Amino acid sequence: MMTAGLRSLLLAAACSCAMAGAAAAQNLTIAVGAPVTSIDPHYHNLSPNNAMAAHIFDGLADTDSRARLVPGLAESWRTIDDTTWEFRLRRGVTFHNGSDFTAEDVAFTISRAPNVPNSPSGFGIFTRPIAEVQVVDPHTVRIRTRAVYPLLAVDLSNVMILDKETHENATTEDFNSGKVAVGTGPYRFVRFAPGDRIELERNDTYWGGRQPWQRVNYRIIVNEAARTAALLAGDVDLIDQVPTADIARLKQDQRLNVSEVVGLRIIYLALDHSRTDGSPFVSGPNGEALDRNPLKDVRVRRALSIAIDRNAIVSRVMEGAAIPAGQFLPEGTYSHVPGLNPPAFDPDGARRLLAEAGYPNGLRLAIHGPNDRYVNDARIIQAIGSFWTRIGVRTQVEAMPWTTFIARAGRQEFSAFLVGWGSSTGEASSPLRSLVATFNREKGFGASNRGRYSNPELDRLLEQALATVDDEKREKLLQDATRVAMEDVAIIPIHIQKNVWAMKRGLRHDARADELTRAMDVRPGG
Amino acid sequence: MTPPPAEAAIASAGLAPAASREETPLRRFVADFAESKVAVGAFVVFVLIVLCAVFAPWIAPQDPYDLAQLDILDGRMPPGTMGGAGFTYILGTDDQGRDMFSGILYGLRISLMVGAGSAFIAFIVGTALGLLAAYFGGRTDTLIMRLVDLQLSFPSILVALMILAFLGKGILNVVIAIVAVEWAYYARTVRGTALVERRREYIEAAECLALSKPRIVFRHLLPNCLPPLIVILTMQVARAIALEATLSFLGLGVPVTEPSLGLLIANGYEYMLSGRYWISFYPGIALLVTIVVINLVGDQLRDVLNPRLRK
Repeated sequence: MMTAGLRSLLLAAACSCAMAGAAAAQNLTIAVGAPVTSIDPHYHNLSPNNAMAAHIFDGLADTDSRARLVPGLAESWRTIDDTTWEFRLRRGVTFHNGSDFTAEDVAFTISRAPNVPNSPSGFGIFTRPIAEVQVVDPHTVRIRTRAVYPLLAVDLSNVMILDKETHENATTEDFNSGKVAVGTGPYRFVRFAPGDRIELERNDTYWGGRQPWQRVNYRIIVNEAARTAALLAGDVDLIDQVPTADIARLKQDQRLNVSEVVGLRIIYLALDHSRTDGSPFVSGPNGEALDRNPLKDVRVRRALSIAIDRNAIVSRVMEGAAIPAGQFLPEGTYSHVPGLNPPAFDPDGARRLLAEAGYPNGLRLAIHGPNDRYVNDARIIQAIGSFWTRIGVRTQVEAMPWTTFIARAGRQEFSAFLVGWGSSTGEASSPLRSLVATFNREKGFGASNRGRYSNPELDRLLEQALATVDDEKREKLLQDATRVAMEDVAIIPIHIQKNVWAMKRGLRHDARADELTRAMDVRPGG
Repeated sequence: MTPPPAEAAIASAGLAPAASREETPLRRFVADFAESKVAVGAFVVFVLIVLCAVFAPWIAPQDPYDLAQLDILDGRMPPGTMGGAGFTYILGTDDQGRDMFSGILYGLRISLMVGAGSAFIAFIVGTALGLLAAYFGGRTDTLIMRLVDLQLSFPSILVALMILAFLGKGILNVVIAIVAVEWAYYARTVRGTALVERRREYIEAAECLALSKPRIVFRHLLPNCLPPLIVILTMQVARAIALEATLSFLGLGVPVTEPSLGLLIANGYEYMLSGRYWISFYPGIALLVTIVVINLVGDQLRDVLNPRLRK
């Protein structure tokens, strides 16, 4: 009697569990750490916004989880001559409101993207090289660039295609309210509650095939501990930006899976190259002012680089959520330099190099960095301070909020400072152009070269690469430029972050190198 | 307004200066204080904490502020682990390989120094302004007391945050911020007491003798206002320590390489969920014990120094 009752009870429990499981399998709840600021895909060029836009909209091209270019709304493209590209568009694609996707929409999108009012950081950088858009027929577009521009397709993968009929004169507010939040993407927009959540519904007529999730609830939980707690409590199915301190514990949890991939964000130290006569935070071993800037001496820079035990930083500070870096990009990406390894840890060699450079008694130096921007940023600079102090460079460590820090770094106020760079294009021209090319506002070079490093040879190789359409030749030139930068210790690379997600067991996630968190990468089973 | 009995006025006027010379009131004070065993125990613990802080460089196995002595490979070791430097981390290490025991001893130094220093400066500033307000009255009084009202109407942490945002980080700036937050408590208390005292006959007598105003205020009025101020001073030391810890926890206080208790707690905060409790736990205990013993001593002082509670 007792056992029968118990058995039926268990059976009922098992049934209800299975049913709950089946119902839940239709829906997916994701919690992300960074807020989406708008649904307008051309308003703010920000990773969280771009991740959300990828659900609702499509670009002409797309990138896969390893940041390689794949076809999107354009089935194929080719260059007709050095400055003319032809895109062949996918046929039979419709927007969520039923209107057809045609070449006119591409032309409209390219005219709208750079002209969104009040955009905090716009999409003009991707459309600037374009001189003219020519509609050949409803399914063919020709784009002429102002100069040779090999990255056109890569850049256009960031620009989401809108519908001319629907979105002419549409404002950013119209997107946020849902009035015109229609695209060609795998999910339809349902609701946007800024700072809280975005609700999505499957687009059953998606050209790329039906998604496994009926509804997607895309929640924003900025607080790290709360995000982890929400996953542990079963409130959400997947979280991104797992705090490094929690990774080990979540991996051990039987109810959870962790997915990770080496990302495209390098964490590095920039050094002051802008001054020849002394640097503001560098002084002699007893605090005396120096009449020249030791950081201009490549031996000093190399000493500072090899004094850092990158493996210790990766294993202790990052708890394995990074790989030691010796160049801008991880292995497996376009223009990664094979054989250019992270500098080996060699404190004795560092002391010798310092003595050779004329500083046998060491130096004093202050290192600056943010404390709220990159994963474990303040901890990393403390660890570096400790490594440098041990080779006789007495280091003072100063961590500050990002907004203060980046303003001061941009005014060349620091001598050595920690920053990061995410190569959104997944190839080396992005970091080379922004971080180490000679600062030149007109050319758009060195925009984030806050140490003002300058090397004519590197500039020459880079300009040559940017004018080379042939992928293989360009890769070779980018590799050469990277090698020049690294051998001259233009920057001190520390590590490349891993992007880490955690999810309920029973979900499979294709971790993306570009940090984007998307429902399309999550599948049941696994 | 009935004037107080003449005897009382004479007694208080005569006793205050004579008290320290004869030592009997001091002895009585000690005896009164010793009535509470808890307070005596708290006082002993407090003295021990102060001694630990003062002699930290000789007790601590590691100088936690010397980056060259930290080994990151010893980071986040649990309590009782033998480190690479040849001594045992009895309370474990933080993420940089900093010995928590040494870190706490040095952190206590900062906490006590900032706490006592800022409370004492606030005491001087607040008392001076409060006495001025009470003695001169009129516009001076209005001006100072409205300033006090303004100050007390803002949450103290908010005021301190604004000051630090403006002045920047650093121990000295933390002291300035705490003084700016706390002086008002002294000013208000001393004004209240002084208003009562200044109507008494001994002040009138001093005024009749044509003594200079500073002399009347500081030699006659002030000593008679001291007892409640001493109580507030002890309480405010504890408050200042807590405020410094809060500011450091928020990353606005001391530099990251010279952590005080608040920053040590902040450093370990992220590891609480992952089971590495000791990074936050032990500094937290040290902070807790320090503040509790100071408050216990302060409570007993209040009872002893309050004539209404005297048997």
